[in-house]
Amino acid sequence: MPATTKTNFQLVSNGILNENPIFRLALSMCPAVGISTTVMNGLMLGVAVLFVQVFSSCTIAAIKNHIHPRIRIPTYTLTIATWVTVIDLVLAAYMPAAYKEMGIFVKLIVAFAIITMRLEIFACKNSVPASFWDGIGMGLGFMFGMVTLGFVRELLGMGTLLGYNVLGFRPLLFFVLPAAGFFCVGIMMAMFNYMEIVYNRSKRAK
Amino acid sequence: MKQIIRITIGLTVSCLIAALVMGSVFVITDKAKKHNEHVNVQETMLGLLGYTKSHPAPSDLKLYSLYRYIITDGDVSMLGYVLPVVKGDGVGYQLTVMDLDGRFVSQSPLRLTPDEASESTGRTAALQEVLKPPKAFMYTDATIVANLGKKRLAYLLPGEFPGFKTFIHVMLALDPSFDILGLEITEQEEDPGLGAEIKQDYFKNQFKGKPFEKIKDLHVVKEPLPEEYKAYLEHERGNGSPIPTGELETIRSKYQDKDIYALTGATISSKAVTDGVKNMVAKFAYRINRLDAVISDQHIPVAF
Repeated sequence: MPATTKTNFQLVSNGILNENPIFRLALSMCPAVGISTTVMNGLMLGVAVLFVQVFSSCTIAAIKNHIHPRIRIPTYTLTIATWVTVIDLVLAAYMPAAYKEMGIFVKLIVAFAIITMRLEIFACKNSVPASFWDGIGMGLGFMFGMVTLGFVRELLGMGTLLGYNVLGFRPLLFFVLPAAGFFCVGIMMAMFNYMEIVYNRSKRAK
Repeated sequence: MKQIIRITIGLTVSCLIAALVMGSVFVITDKAKKHNEHVNVQETMLGLLGYTKSHPAPSDLKLYSLYRYIITDGDVSMLGYVLPVVKGDGVGYQLTVMDLDGRFVSQSPLRLTPDEASESTGRTAALQEVLKPPKAFMYTDATIVANLGKKRLAYLLPGEFPGFKTFIHVMLALDPSFDILGLEITEQEEDPGLGAEIKQDYFKNQFKGKPFEKIKDLHVVKEPLPEEYKAYLEHERGNGSPIPTGELETIRSKYQDKDIYALTGATISSKAVTDGVKNMVAKFAYRINRLDAVISDQHIPVAF
């Protein structure tokens, strides 16, 4: 893939819609299924991924010419691990309130496929600003996916939203369990695919 | 060959850079991080004793930590307690060793300041001076004794036990007759929406006020939580419907000797917490009674 010609806005919207990490690329499914049980959990993990993705993308884009192609994957992993550790330590030291909420999520990120994949496909071929916007887009796309899943699962599984009791009863406990995560992701994927078909059809009709 | 060397050097350099970055961030943030953890623990402890920001702890509230070690001398195992003792105007420390049946073995003063005693490295160094090889020692747990003036107010026990997924870390507060003053879940990774509900008021507050006699025989019942009890358990946070002050006492005494109501869909987590707490209380009551007997027999001038 040659260097991108997209504008910054296209790069961001690309991450949210065309190449949404969860619903279009089907990457990082473990957190999507395991953690998206509440809106808050989804949001927290989304924010954490956003930061790590942006920082890692910028770092790799900046040093891409110095990385030996044979060792690029270990270098990506190292970069992600370094940023995760740095963010974890800084949060723990200077933002204890945020750390209390986000601490466990930040540590999970090292193993996420989406970040490595974005570094391999995009950041190592593009400039720092383009990688920055791509990172933002991917992070927001992931956050959007997690929050949507969290919304559905929290509402249907626990009858609450953001911890507030909305329905007053618990419609289907099943939605909180990991298996329901697959159903929700599947249905959302179908919706995204359908949207694409409709969009393409309308484009062709013009 | 040239490739291999380049790859090796490349990998080494990237690892070194990463290590440097992480190391320097660690050095910069370590102090603030430890401080935050300390503040967190303090807040949890004071919260369990019923002190909040709006209702601060009195100035004569003192928290003393006792550290328990297992000492091995060849095949013989003994228990060693690092105890705070009165020394002049301040606090000194001494090691009291007893055998597994609670009989006194020896005592020796430790060169420790309160700051050093709160760090495991400080205690290890001081203990090594007293316990020469072949004696070996291993840290097991700590207990915090809360004193109001000269009077013992409560025991605070940090502890952990296996839950449904991983270990559940808790802090338990007991009054001097081992009735539960409060339970706080400090760390857990149970399923959100199911097991993770153990940290909700309507579960953990069920333990509050359970008398020692009842704890020995505490079970989990799979019955729905009665509405009035749920309202009572949540009333402190201010969410839920308010209860007239007169009724609080009636509800409290009505449910005081009841078993623990299990969480819907999380019987294993509920059972884990109940059994864990039961175990902690039973073991602690046994140990502290043995320790108190030794302290009064040997006239150890303990600070607590």
